Amino acid sequence: MFEQVFQFLVTGITVGSLYALVGLGFALIYNASDVVNFAQGEFVMLGAMAAIALLSAGLPLPLAAVVATLLAVGVGLLLERFAIEPAAGASVVATIIITIGAAIFLRGIALLLWGKDFHTLPPFSGDAPIRLGGATVLPQSLWVLAATGVLVALVRAFFDRTLLGKALLACSFNRTAAQAVGINVKVMLRLAYGLSAGLGAVAGILIAPITFSSYEAGVMLGLKGFSAAIVGGIGNPMGAVAGGLLLGVLEALGAGLVSSGYKDAIAFLFVLMVLFFEPTGLFGHKVAERV
Amino acid sequence: MTALPPPAPPLALLAVTGLEQSFGGVMALAGVSFRVAEGLIYAVIGPNGAGKTTLFNALCGFYRPSAGSIRFADRELLGLPPHRIAACGIGRTFQNLQLFFNMSVVENVMVGCHLRARASLLAAALRLPGVRRQERHLRAWSMEALELCELADRAAQPAGALPYGLMKRVEIARALAAKPRLLLLDEPAAGLNDTETLALRELIARIRASGVTVLLVEHHMPLVMGVSDRLLVLDYGSVLAEGTPADIQADPRVVAAYLGGAVSYAV
Amino acid sequence: MRLAGFYAFAATVALLPALFPDNYFVVVVGASAGLNVILAVGLNLLMGYAGQISLGHAAFFGLGAYASAILTTRFGWPSLLALAAGLIAAGLLAWAFARPILRLRGHYLAMATLGFGVIVHVIMVQATGWTGGPDGLAGVPPLDLFGWEVSGDLQWYGVIMAAALLAVWLSLNLVDSPVGRALRAVHGSEFAAQMMGVDTARAKTQAFVVSALFAAFAGSLFAHQQAFVSPDSFDLTVSVELVTMVVLGGLASTFGAACGAIALTLLQQALVVFEDYEMLIHGALLMAVMIFLPQGLFVGLTQAARRLGSALVRSRPSVAA
Repeated sequence: MFEQVFQFLVTGITVGSLYALVGLGFALIYNASDVVNFAQGEFVMLGAMAAIALLSAGLPLPLAAVVATLLAVGVGLLLERFAIEPAAGASVVATIIITIGAAIFLRGIALLLWGKDFHTLPPFSGDAPIRLGGATVLPQSLWVLAATGVLVALVRAFFDRTLLGKALLACSFNRTAAQAVGINVKVMLRLAYGLSAGLGAVAGILIAPITFSSYEAGVMLGLKGFSAAIVGGIGNPMGAVAGGLLLGVLEALGAGLVSSGYKDAIAFLFVLMVLFFEPTGLFGHKVAERV
Repeated sequence: MTALPPPAPPLALLAVTGLEQSFGGVMALAGVSFRVAEGLIYAVIGPNGAGKTTLFNALCGFYRPSAGSIRFADRELLGLPPHRIAACGIGRTFQNLQLFFNMSVVENVMVGCHLRARASLLAAALRLPGVRRQERHLRAWSMEALELCELADRAAQPAGALPYGLMKRVEIARALAAKPRLLLLDEPAAGLNDTETLALRELIARIRASGVTVLLVEHHMPLVMGVSDRLLVLDYGSVLAEGTPADIQADPRVVAAYLGGAVSYAV
Repeated sequence: MRLAGFYAFAATVALLPALFPDNYFVVVVGASAGLNVILAVGLNLLMGYAGQISLGHAAFFGLGAYASAILTTRFGWPSLLALAAGLIAAGLLAWAFARPILRLRGHYLAMATLGFGVIVHVIMVQATGWTGGPDGLAGVPPLDLFGWEVSGDLQWYGVIMAAALLAVWLSLNLVDSPVGRALRAVHGSEFAAQMMGVDTARAKTQAFVVSALFAAFAGSLFAHQQAFVSPDSFDLTVSVELVTMVVLGGLASTFGAACGAIALTLLQQALVVFEDYEMLIHGALLMAVMIFLPQGLFVGLTQAARRLGSALVRSRPSVAA
């Protein structure tokens, strides 16, 4: 029993790491623009699918991964430039529909490019499972964990240590004030979209050897990433990371101990419960409205 | 605040005692007590941050004061949600406009009649004859309130299309449509020009003449001194002074803390 | 006149099959547009008027459909009784769910309703014993209206359009009543609404319940019309489509929602010919409409028409002034 639970934990943390990366992307974009980008999952899908395509076109895996990530960053920048910027000041509902439209559009492109088939990427370093206590861990899981750890640390350092990161943070607190002290808000916005598209793509490339990818693969991952960001308190990057890990672990435990068919329902039930008791997420700050 | 409160004057419509409200350690209201007799125009003044709007929000149930009591027409209001407090007979306007910009002027005021309306969901959806009849009454009542505020000709316009000064008037009409016993006006003159302020002064007098007690937060001193019967001066969340406009203007503490010497107002 | 638009809509709906008899596009696509009108008009009460987003409304649509399908096929209930049971179930679920969920704002509310929709969809797929799982339930008997069994495309067109007109009429009545004004007030300013004595939690709950009832009603008709239900008809995509209809038409306008529903239904029919490009075009159109016509097609176009109208009136020499 204990070994089983440990196995679920390992799975949960692996999946949770991906949710954390996607959630981090949500938080970055939300901070910079107050927009929840429902196309975030599509960045994940694009990263995976592009890497697979580039690999089969003959590129070595590391190069394919880098190029695929850069491609996704480019798509993120285009999305910001042609869909988000022109709609500045739109209502919450309008931006939700714009980004959902973008998600459908990107899915449509993927469908045209790669068809409806499922594709997969070979594991980065073999698929011989590693025994760890009573559980087995795929080498790819270790890649996921390590890469997530490094990326989260880098994002943190970026915000804490660099002027650029601080400028982006300033934009999230008060865009007008940031502008007044000479921060180019437009550039910051693009930075946020590029950064979260890159994070999403890396998540996609990391998970591609474990699960199959298709043009629709981003939908549920995007929703889980959104859930992670919400559970963590939207706009709180480290909250999103914590939310993602929590969600992944709960989902894996639910799938293992209750029913695998209901795992998505369990994940969202958890999100609902969090919101019922903490309407602004676990690590969100409560803002009082002024009358 | 060790002195005993003065003996209660007759017919205190609103009696606030020892009201305390803090935000993260900052005492926004540190034991505020005052009484407002029915039929008065009672003004609350004080420097920015003195706690005037906080007082209003506490009276209306938007905040939950940590101590004290708010008795209104012999009912304790403390702890009631805003819509129940409104039902007790308190109406208000807002410092930052809170108009329903998604509706016409008359519809805004008809929402003000909400407390006087009775309609079940089903009756409203089927538009039963009773609902139709009531709609006519609500419209007529709303037009009365609009006429009092000299807005009748604007009734059909979208509320968002009005000039700022008139928007503030719509808020007053909307609050009056509920037929409150006490009307709270939060900085009604802010952003108005001199002509509009003069008209506002007349409107406040008309409202009182119609039998509504008025509690007024305002920075515009000539208006406050000219229209009010009594004043309450707040400073750092405490009562600094209370009395008639003449008392207040002569009070050296008020002069020192707030009016800064320039106390001569043409009244 | 208050109901002028309603009568015009009713006349159009009645004339179409007479002008184009036996036209597949009118009766079949028309019926499907009619169902969407019911859904969009109901959701508009919540989104357009009360200002609360729901990304899980397909759940209530599905609840109505599955209630009718399960109760008629497995328990042999008469169809009208099953319909009523579906309405009651959806209403109760919405009511129970409304208070905790409608405390949430903006994206948190979007998340919660989305999660709700996903949970209900997962149950439809997983509870195979009841719902038939991913394969769905076939053999739903025809709708029996006091002895008249609705059959054939034209009859269905008539029934669904009558229901759609009823939905529009109810919505118009509600909006222009104390209940509807309270809803709009909540959207306009929650603080001010409270100060007018509006119990905002109650108003939002009412909007949520009413829109759930509209959706369940449409779902029940849908189950009988198709004689088949499956989870695919009630997934997140459908919820998003419903939101799109409401926003496409223009929020806070009953006719806007109806027009949005009809426009999206037609669009989807038209896009089928593009096959693999359908998704791409659909996404691009969604983005384009929201970027260039953020007020929606119907509201944006009527405002343009009104501006044109008043410009014409002004250009004419005034007689009475």
